Amino acid sequence: MKPGSVQDDSRQTGAADLPGMVPGGAADAARRDAILDRDRKAIAELVTLHADTIYRFIYHRLDRPESVDDLVQEVFLAALKAFAGYRVESSPRTWLIGIARHKIADYYRERLRSLVLEDPATAGDEPAAEPRLDESLDRRKLDEKARAVLSTLPEAYRAVLVCRYWDQRSVGEIAEMSGKTEKAIERLLARARQQFKRRWTDG
Amino acid sequence: MAESSRFLEEVAEATDVERRAPTRLKSRIYSALMRQAAASGPLRPLGACEQAGGTLCVFEKLAHAAALGSLDELNYCRACHARVLGERVERAPLAWHGCPYADFQKI
Repeated sequence: MKPGSVQDDSRQTGAADLPGMVPGGAADAARRDAILDRDRKAIAELVTLHADTIYRFIYHRLDRPESVDDLVQEVFLAALKAFAGYRVESSPRTWLIGIARHKIADYYRERLRSLVLEDPATAGDEPAAEPRLDESLDRRKLDEKARAVLSTLPEAYRAVLVCRYWDQRSVGEIAEMSGKTEKAIERLLARARQQFKRRWTDG
Repeated sequence: MAESSRFLEEVAEATDVERRAPTRLKSRIYSALMRQAAASGPLRPLGACEQAGGTLCVFEKLAHAAALGSLDELNYCRACHARVLGERVERAPLAWHGCPYADFQKI
């Protein structure tokens, strides 16, 4: 087996990213140097090793699946530009996820400012009953149901809900990204949560 | 209005499912990275890639041998059918040893 090749990489299993494992290392430094030297095989290896992780990370956090591919590609292109600054203090996976976080923040900044975040609700104000997760559904079925429910909501509701709960941004962050007050975002989120719960229960 | 966020938090947590990037996307990302790399300077020569542990595909081996290293810095994938197929067809039937586009098809 050739040193530094995909086959000898324990990180491929994700084992090196488990808590307690030492991040970075000689293999990562060698890979970084090869990429900086524009080694085509090292660049291919970067995609092979990390595309699935970054794709899953972004897919889970975006309100529009049709934007996922472009954002994943942007992460890799930004990484290639920034590789000279990668110090191997963290694993490449962690470093790439950091870039993905920034790209997602940029995405929501643009997305939330492009939407009219006035409250589009027409439903009554009465609180929706608190649903319960159907534990008989597996995660994939739950994901399908959640996405189906989200797709029926007004865009503004969908965007703030996914940004708040799937991407785990605070109300303050969302307010800053959207240029709205925290109070306005709280109100919007409250309405969005009610509609989500109501449609989850109805569906 | 005090309203519970817990349900939404539970749904978001429960829907983080295992997911693989489409093979077409991996191919497109690699092509874009190679374009960006080639635009910023010459690629590492094929001989040096091989010495560093990379596996050359049959076309790269031929090009390397025929050009005697003088055209080693070119991105031969740009002119290869495997790239076109990989970028356009999900799980494309590619099996060239050492071809990145073929490697992206593996599950």
